[in-house]
Amino acid sequence: MMDLTPDAKRRFDEYLQRVHTALRGTRAIESGEVEQNVREHVEFALAGAPAPVGAEHLGAVLEQLGPPERWLPEEERPLWRRVGDRILHGPEDWRLAYLTFAVFSLTIVFFPVGGVLLLIPAFLLARAHVELLKARGEELGPRRWLVLPPIASVMVLVTASALVTPIALSLVLGGERDTLAFFGFDPQDRYDRLRLHAGFAATGTGIGWLVLSAIFAAMLPQMQKLFAPFLASLRRTHALTLAIAGAVLIGIGMVVLYVM
Amino acid sequence: MTLHCFAMPELFYENWTTQLRKGLLELAILNVLGAGPLYGYEIVRRLGDADSLVITEGTVYPILSRLRNEQYVESYIEESTSGPPRKYYRLTARGRSELRKMNEHWERLHEGIGQLRKERGR
Repeated sequence: MMDLTPDAKRRFDEYLQRVHTALRGTRAIESGEVEQNVREHVEFALAGAPAPVGAEHLGAVLEQLGPPERWLPEEERPLWRRVGDRILHGPEDWRLAYLTFAVFSLTIVFFPVGGVLLLIPAFLLARAHVELLKARGEELGPRRWLVLPPIASVMVLVTASALVTPIALSLVLGGERDTLAFFGFDPQDRYDRLRLHAGFAATGTGIGWLVLSAIFAAMLPQMQKLFAPFLASLRRTHALTLAIAGAVLIGIGMVVLYVM
Repeated sequence: MTLHCFAMPELFYENWTTQLRKGLLELAILNVLGAGPLYGYEIVRRLGDADSLVITEGTVYPILSRLRNEQYVESYIEESTSGPPRKYYRLTARGRSELRKMNEHWERLHEGIGQLRKERGR
Protein backbone atom coordinates (compact mmCIF):
# COMPACT_ATOMS: atom_id res chain seq x y z
CA MET A 1 0.00 0.00 0.00
CA MET A 2 1.38 3.40 -0.99
CA ASP A 3 1.95 6.00 1.64
CA LEU A 4 0.82 9.28 0.09
CA THR A 5 0.38 12.77 1.51
CA PRO A 6 -3.27 13.98 1.51
CA ASP A 7 -2.57 16.15 -1.55
CA ALA A 8 -0.98 13.28 -3.42
CA LYS A 9 -3.80 10.94 -2.44
CA ARG A 10 -6.37 13.43 -3.72
CA ARG A 11 -4.46 13.78 -6.97
CA PHE A 12 -4.19 10.00 -7.38
CA ASP A 13 -7.92 9.53 -6.68
CA GLU A 14 -8.71 12.20 -9.26
CA TYR A 15 -6.54 10.42 -11.82
CA LEU A 16 -8.24 7.08 -11.13
CA GLN A 17 -11.65 8.75 -11.31
CA ARG A 18 -10.79 10.16 -14.73
CA VAL A 19 -9.61 6.73 -15.84
CA HIS A 20 -12.98 5.25 -14.78
CA THR A 21 -14.83 8.06 -16.57
CA ALA A 22 -12.82 7.48 -19.75
CA LEU A 23 -13.57 3.76 -19.62
CA ARG A 24 -17.28 4.17 -18.92
CA GLY A 25 -19.44 2.43 -21.48
CA THR A 26 -16.70 0.26 -22.97
CA ARG A 27 -17.34 -3.45 -22.84
CA ALA A 28 -13.98 -4.84 -23.89
CA ILE A 29 -12.02 -3.27 -21.04
CA GLU A 30 -12.53 -3.81 -17.35
CA SER A 31 -11.96 -0.60 -15.49
CA GLY A 32 -11.10 -2.60 -12.35
CA GLU A 33 -8.24 -4.27 -14.16
CA VAL A 34 -7.01 -0.97 -15.54
CA GLU A 35 -7.11 0.56 -12.06
CA GLN A 36 -5.07 -2.38 -10.83
CA ASN A 37 -2.53 -1.75 -13.60
CA VAL A 38 -2.33 1.93 -12.71
CA ARG A 39 -1.93 1.22 -9.00
CA GLU A 40 0.69 -1.45 -9.63
CA HIS A 41 2.62 0.78 -12.01
CA VAL A 42 2.60 3.77 -9.68
CA GLU A 43 3.55 1.61 -6.72
CA PHE A 44 6.59 0.25 -8.56
CA ALA A 45 7.54 3.67 -9.89
CA LEU A 46 7.45 5.12 -6.38
CA ALA A 47 9.24 2.22 -4.72
CA GLY A 48 12.20 3.59 -2.85
CA ALA A 49 10.82 7.14 -2.68
CA PRO A 50 10.76 8.62 0.83
CA ALA A 51 7.35 8.18 2.47
CA PRO A 52 4.93 9.79 2.52
CA VAL A 53 5.12 10.53 -1.21
CA GLY A 54 4.14 14.10 -2.06
CA ALA A 55 1.91 15.38 -4.85
CA GLU A 56 4.87 16.65 -6.85
CA HIS A 57 6.63 13.31 -6.91
CA LEU A 58 3.41 11.47 -7.71
CA GLY A 59 2.58 14.06 -10.38
CA ALA A 60 5.82 13.29 -12.21
CA VAL A 61 4.94 9.58 -12.28
CA LEU A 62 1.39 10.26 -13.47
CA GLU A 63 2.69 12.58 -16.15
CA GLN A 64 4.94 9.82 -17.43
CA LEU A 65 1.92 7.52 -17.44
CA GLY A 66 0.07 9.95 -19.67
CA PRO A 67 -3.48 11.33 -19.61
CA PRO A 68 -6.12 8.98 -18.12
CA GLU A 69 -7.96 8.94 -21.44
CA ARG A 70 -4.98 7.14 -22.99
CA TRP A 71 -5.82 4.00 -21.02
CA LEU A 72 -8.64 3.42 -23.42
CA PRO A 73 -7.29 1.90 -26.65
CA GLU A 74 -8.12 3.89 -29.77
CA GLU A 75 -10.45 1.26 -31.23
CA GLU A 76 -12.53 1.34 -28.02
CA ARG A 77 -12.93 5.10 -27.90
CA PRO A 78 -16.21 6.72 -28.89
CA LEU A 79 -16.40 7.86 -32.48
CA TRP A 80 -16.64 11.58 -31.62
CA ARG A 81 -13.50 11.36 -29.52
CA ARG A 82 -11.61 9.49 -32.22
CA VAL A 83 -12.66 12.05 -34.80
CA GLY A 84 -11.62 14.88 -32.46
CA ASP A 85 -8.26 13.27 -31.84
CA ARG A 86 -7.74 12.61 -35.53
CA ILE A 87 -8.25 16.29 -36.20
CA LEU A 88 -5.94 17.37 -33.39
CA HIS A 89 -3.27 14.69 -33.47
CA GLY A 90 -3.97 12.42 -36.40
CA PRO A 91 -1.97 12.07 -39.58
CA GLU A 92 -1.91 15.48 -41.17
CA ASP A 93 -3.30 14.16 -44.44
CA TRP A 94 -6.52 13.20 -42.73
CA ARG A 95 -7.09 16.31 -40.64
CA LEU A 96 -8.55 18.40 -43.42
CA ALA A 97 -10.79 15.49 -44.43
CA TYR A 98 -12.14 15.10 -40.90
CA LEU A 99 -12.59 18.83 -40.52
CA THR A 100 -14.51 18.93 -43.80
CA PHE A 101 -16.76 16.12 -42.67
CA ALA A 102 -17.28 17.73 -39.26
CA VAL A 103 -18.44 21.01 -40.84
CA PHE A 104 -20.63 19.08 -43.30
CA SER A 105 -22.19 17.14 -40.40
CA LEU A 106 -22.99 20.44 -38.68
CA THR A 107 -24.71 21.53 -41.90
CA ILE A 108 -27.07 18.57 -41.57
CA VAL A 109 -27.54 18.82 -37.81
CA PHE A 110 -28.37 22.54 -37.93
CA PHE A 111 -30.21 22.40 -41.23
CA PRO A 112 -33.56 23.55 -39.74
CA VAL A 113 -31.95 26.65 -38.22
CA GLY A 114 -29.93 27.92 -41.17
CA GLY A 115 -27.26 25.23 -41.10
CA VAL A 116 -27.32 25.18 -44.87
CA LEU A 117 -25.02 28.21 -44.77
CA LEU A 118 -22.33 25.93 -43.33
CA LEU A 119 -22.37 24.12 -46.64
CA ILE A 120 -20.28 26.97 -48.04
CA PRO A 121 -17.28 26.48 -45.68
CA ALA A 122 -17.70 22.69 -45.97
CA PHE A 123 -17.57 23.00 -49.76
CA LEU A 124 -14.51 25.29 -49.64
CA LEU A 125 -12.68 22.92 -47.27
CA ALA A 126 -13.50 19.97 -49.52
CA ARG A 127 -12.30 21.88 -52.58
CA ALA A 128 -9.08 22.81 -50.77
CA HIS A 129 -8.50 19.15 -49.91
CA VAL A 130 -9.11 17.96 -53.46
CA GLU A 131 -6.74 20.61 -54.81
CA LEU A 132 -4.09 19.82 -52.21
CA LEU A 133 -4.07 16.13 -53.09
CA LYS A 134 -4.08 16.93 -56.79
CA ALA A 135 -1.02 19.15 -56.32
CA ARG A 136 0.71 16.31 -54.49
CA GLY A 137 -0.32 13.79 -57.10
CA GLU A 138 -2.16 11.69 -54.50
CA GLU A 139 -5.47 9.87 -54.72
CA LEU A 140 -8.37 10.70 -52.39
CA GLY A 141 -8.76 7.01 -51.54
CA PRO A 142 -11.07 6.30 -48.59
CA ARG A 143 -11.02 10.00 -47.74
CA ARG A 144 -13.52 10.52 -50.55
CA TRP A 145 -16.28 9.46 -48.14
CA LEU A 146 -15.39 12.40 -45.91
CA VAL A 147 -14.51 14.98 -48.54
CA LEU A 148 -16.87 14.46 -51.46
CA PRO A 149 -20.32 14.77 -49.77
CA PRO A 150 -20.16 18.62 -49.56
CA ILE A 151 -19.04 18.88 -53.20
CA ALA A 152 -21.76 16.47 -54.33
CA SER A 153 -24.39 18.34 -52.27
CA VAL A 154 -23.47 21.75 -53.69
CA MET A 155 -23.38 20.31 -57.21
CA VAL A 156 -26.83 18.74 -56.83
CA LEU A 157 -28.22 21.96 -55.31
CA VAL A 158 -26.80 24.17 -58.07
CA THR A 159 -27.92 21.79 -60.85
CA ALA A 160 -31.41 21.38 -59.39
CA SER A 161 -31.77 25.16 -58.92
CA ALA A 162 -30.58 25.83 -62.47
CA LEU A 163 -33.08 23.35 -63.91
CA VAL A 164 -36.03 24.21 -61.67
CA THR A 165 -35.73 28.02 -61.67
CA PRO A 166 -36.95 28.46 -65.30
CA ILE A 167 -39.91 26.14 -64.57
CA ALA A 168 -40.87 28.06 -61.42
CA LEU A 169 -40.39 31.48 -63.05
CA SER A 170 -42.42 30.67 -66.15
CA LEU A 171 -45.15 29.06 -64.05
CA VAL A 172 -45.43 32.19 -61.92
CA LEU A 173 -45.21 34.65 -64.82
CA GLY A 174 -47.57 32.59 -67.01
CA GLY A 175 -50.24 32.86 -64.34
CA GLU A 176 -50.11 36.65 -64.29
CA ARG A 177 -52.84 38.44 -66.24
CA ASP A 178 -50.46 41.32 -67.05
CA THR A 179 -47.91 38.98 -68.64
CA LEU A 180 -50.56 37.40 -70.82
CA ALA A 181 -51.80 40.85 -71.84
CA PHE A 182 -48.25 41.98 -72.59
CA PHE A 183 -47.93 39.19 -75.15
CA GLY A 184 -51.37 39.95 -76.60
CA PHE A 185 -53.29 37.04 -75.10
CA ASP A 186 -56.77 37.45 -73.72
CA PRO A 187 -58.05 34.24 -72.08
CA GLN A 188 -61.76 33.70 -72.71
CA ASP A 189 -62.51 31.13 -70.05
CA ARG A 190 -60.90 28.95 -67.39
CA TYR A 191 -59.78 26.32 -69.91
CA ASP A 192 -58.19 28.97 -72.12
CA ARG A 193 -56.39 30.45 -69.13
CA LEU A 194 -55.06 26.99 -68.19
CA ARG A 195 -53.89 26.39 -71.80
CA LEU A 196 -52.03 29.70 -71.90
CA HIS A 197 -50.50 29.05 -68.48
CA ALA A 198 -49.20 25.64 -69.65
CA GLY A 199 -47.96 27.11 -72.92
CA PHE A 200 -46.05 29.84 -71.09
CA ALA A 201 -44.58 27.36 -68.65
CA ALA A 202 -43.34 25.06 -71.45
CA THR A 203 -41.94 27.91 -73.57
CA GLY A 204 -40.32 29.66 -70.63
CA THR A 205 -38.75 26.45 -69.35
CA GLY A 206 -37.55 25.60 -72.86
CA ILE A 207 -35.92 29.02 -73.27
CA GLY A 208 -34.36 28.73 -69.81
CA TRP A 209 -32.90 25.30 -70.59
CA LEU A 210 -31.59 26.51 -73.95
CA VAL A 211 -29.75 29.36 -72.23
CA LEU A 212 -28.54 26.92 -69.58
CA SER A 213 -27.20 24.53 -72.21
CA ALA A 214 -25.27 27.42 -73.81
CA ILE A 215 -23.80 28.41 -70.42
CA PHE A 216 -23.04 24.75 -69.72
CA ALA A 217 -21.22 24.35 -73.05
CA ALA A 218 -19.28 27.60 -72.64
CA MET A 219 -18.27 27.07 -69.02
CA LEU A 220 -17.78 23.31 -68.90
CA PRO A 221 -14.04 23.44 -67.96
CA GLN A 222 -14.74 25.87 -65.10
CA MET A 223 -17.62 23.73 -63.84
CA GLN A 224 -15.51 20.59 -64.02
CA LYS A 225 -12.82 22.32 -62.00
CA LEU A 226 -15.32 23.64 -59.45
CA PHE A 227 -16.97 20.27 -58.87
CA ALA A 228 -13.91 18.06 -59.38
CA PRO A 229 -13.64 15.09 -59.34
CA PHE A 230 -17.29 14.98 -60.49
CA LEU A 231 -18.31 15.90 -64.04
CA ALA A 232 -14.94 14.71 -65.36
CA SER A 233 -16.59 12.51 -67.99
CA LEU A 234 -18.94 15.27 -69.21
CA ARG A 235 -18.36 16.65 -72.71
CA ARG A 236 -19.79 19.72 -74.45
CA THR A 237 -21.95 17.41 -76.54
CA HIS A 238 -23.89 16.59 -73.36
CA ALA A 239 -25.15 20.18 -73.39
CA LEU A 240 -26.87 19.26 -76.64
CA THR A 241 -29.25 16.95 -74.76
CA LEU A 242 -30.38 19.86 -72.61
CA ALA A 243 -30.64 22.11 -75.67
CA ILE A 244 -32.79 19.52 -77.47
CA ALA A 245 -35.04 19.14 -74.41
CA GLY A 246 -35.33 22.95 -74.29
CA ALA A 247 -36.12 23.17 -78.01
CA VAL A 248 -38.78 20.44 -77.72
CA LEU A 249 -40.38 22.28 -74.81
CA ILE A 250 -40.39 25.55 -76.79
CA GLY A 251 -42.02 23.73 -79.69
CA ILE A 252 -44.70 22.26 -77.44
CA GLY A 253 -45.23 25.65 -75.80
CA MET A 254 -45.67 27.38 -79.16
CA VAL A 255 -48.16 24.77 -80.32
CA VAL A 256 -50.13 25.15 -77.10
CA LEU A 257 -50.05 28.97 -77.30
CA TYR A 258 -50.69 29.55 -81.00
CA VAL A 259 -52.17 26.40 -82.59
CA MET A 260 -54.47 24.86 -80.00
CA MET B 1 1.96 29.92 -47.99
CA THR B 2 5.34 30.87 -46.56
CA LEU B 3 4.29 29.67 -43.12
CA HIS B 4 3.06 26.43 -44.63
CA CYS B 5 6.39 25.83 -46.37
CA PHE B 6 8.43 26.37 -43.21
CA ALA B 7 6.14 24.49 -40.83
CA MET B 8 5.58 21.41 -42.97
CA PRO B 9 8.90 19.54 -42.78
CA GLU B 10 9.10 19.65 -38.98
CA LEU B 11 5.45 18.72 -38.56
CA PHE B 12 5.79 16.00 -41.13
CA TYR B 13 8.82 14.51 -39.36
CA GLU B 14 7.04 14.67 -36.02
CA ASN B 15 3.95 12.94 -37.41
CA TRP B 16 6.02 10.38 -39.21
CA THR B 17 8.07 9.40 -36.15
CA THR B 18 4.88 9.24 -34.02
CA GLN B 19 3.17 6.95 -36.49
CA LEU B 20 6.27 4.82 -36.87
CA ARG B 21 6.67 4.49 -33.12
CA LYS B 22 3.00 3.58 -32.71
CA GLY B 23 3.29 0.96 -35.40
CA LEU B 24 6.41 -0.56 -33.90
CA LEU B 25 5.30 -0.56 -30.28
CA GLU B 26 3.51 -3.91 -30.57
CA LEU B 27 6.59 -5.46 -32.16
CA ALA B 28 8.77 -3.97 -29.42
CA ILE B 29 6.53 -5.26 -26.62
CA LEU B 30 6.39 -8.75 -28.12
CA ASN B 31 10.18 -8.75 -28.48
CA VAL B 32 10.65 -7.62 -24.89
CA LEU B 33 8.41 -10.50 -23.80
CA GLY B 34 10.29 -12.84 -26.14
CA ALA B 35 13.09 -12.95 -23.56
CA GLY B 36 10.73 -14.24 -20.87
CA PRO B 37 7.79 -13.30 -18.64
CA LEU B 38 7.81 -9.75 -17.28
CA TYR B 39 5.46 -7.63 -15.23
CA GLY B 40 3.93 -4.44 -16.64
CA TYR B 41 6.24 -1.91 -15.01
CA GLU B 42 9.33 -3.86 -16.08
CA ILE B 43 8.08 -3.96 -19.70
CA VAL B 44 7.58 -0.20 -19.61
CA ARG B 45 11.02 0.30 -18.11
CA ARG B 46 12.74 -1.81 -20.76
CA LEU B 47 10.92 -0.03 -23.56
CA GLY B 48 11.97 3.26 -21.98
CA ASP B 49 15.61 2.14 -22.24
CA ALA B 50 15.33 2.25 -26.02
CA ASP B 51 15.82 5.93 -26.82
CA SER B 52 13.78 6.07 -30.01
CA LEU B 53 10.88 4.27 -28.35
CA VAL B 54 10.34 6.94 -25.68
CA ILE B 55 6.66 6.59 -24.97
CA THR B 56 3.86 7.69 -22.74
CA GLU B 57 3.97 4.80 -20.30
CA GLY B 58 0.20 4.45 -20.09
CA THR B 59 -0.02 3.46 -23.76
CA VAL B 60 1.75 0.15 -23.08
CA TYR B 61 -0.98 -1.37 -20.91
CA PRO B 62 -3.83 -1.00 -23.43
CA ILE B 63 -1.56 -2.64 -26.01
CA LEU B 64 -0.86 -5.47 -23.58
CA SER B 65 -4.63 -5.89 -23.12
CA ARG B 66 -5.15 -6.01 -26.85
CA LEU B 67 -2.33 -8.52 -27.32
CA ARG B 68 -3.93 -10.63 -24.61
CA ASN B 69 -7.33 -10.42 -26.31
CA GLU B 70 -5.64 -11.54 -29.52
CA GLN B 71 -4.12 -14.41 -27.49
CA TYR B 72 -0.57 -13.38 -28.33
CA VAL B 73 0.21 -12.94 -24.63
CA GLU B 74 -1.27 -14.26 -21.41
CA SER B 75 -1.10 -12.83 -17.91
CA TYR B 76 -0.85 -14.35 -14.45
CA ILE B 77 -0.44 -13.02 -10.95
CA GLU B 78 2.60 -13.89 -8.89
CA GLU B 79 3.22 -12.96 -5.28
CA SER B 80 6.33 -10.93 -4.64
CA THR B 81 8.53 -10.89 -1.58
CA SER B 82 9.42 -7.24 -2.15
CA GLY B 83 6.19 -5.38 -2.75
CA PRO B 84 2.70 -5.93 -4.13
CA PRO B 85 1.70 -9.04 -6.15
CA ARG B 86 2.86 -8.67 -9.72
CA LYS B 87 0.88 -9.27 -12.86
CA TYR B 88 3.23 -11.03 -15.26
CA TYR B 89 2.83 -11.22 -19.02
CA ARG B 90 4.27 -13.95 -21.24
CA LEU B 91 4.07 -14.91 -24.88
CA THR B 92 1.71 -17.70 -25.93
CA ALA B 93 2.63 -20.18 -28.69
CA ARG B 94 0.53 -18.08 -31.05
CA GLY B 95 2.36 -14.95 -29.91
CA ARG B 96 5.75 -16.58 -30.56
CA SER B 97 4.75 -17.63 -34.03
CA GLU B 98 3.38 -14.16 -34.79
CA LEU B 99 6.50 -12.51 -33.37
CA ARG B 100 8.68 -14.65 -35.64
CA LYS B 101 6.68 -13.51 -38.67
CA MET B 102 6.73 -9.89 -37.54
CA ASN B 103 10.49 -9.97 -36.97
CA GLU B 104 11.07 -11.50 -40.40
CA HIS B 105 8.93 -8.80 -41.97
CA TRP B 106 10.80 -6.14 -40.05
CA GLU B 107 14.13 -7.57 -41.25
CA ARG B 108 12.96 -7.49 -44.86
CA LEU B 109 11.73 -3.94 -44.43
CA HIS B 110 14.99 -2.87 -42.81
CA GLU B 111 17.03 -4.52 -45.57
CA GLY B 112 14.84 -2.94 -48.24
CA ILE B 113 15.33 0.54 -46.83
CA GLY B 114 19.06 -0.15 -46.39
CA GLN B 115 19.26 -1.19 -50.03
CA LEU B 116 17.49 1.98 -51.14
CA ARG B 117 19.85 4.10 -49.05
CA LYS B 118 22.88 2.30 -50.53
CA GLU B 119 21.60 2.93 -54.06
CA ARG B 120 21.18 6.60 -53.23
CA GLY B 121 24.77 6.70 -51.99
CA ARG B 122 26.20 5.29 -55.24
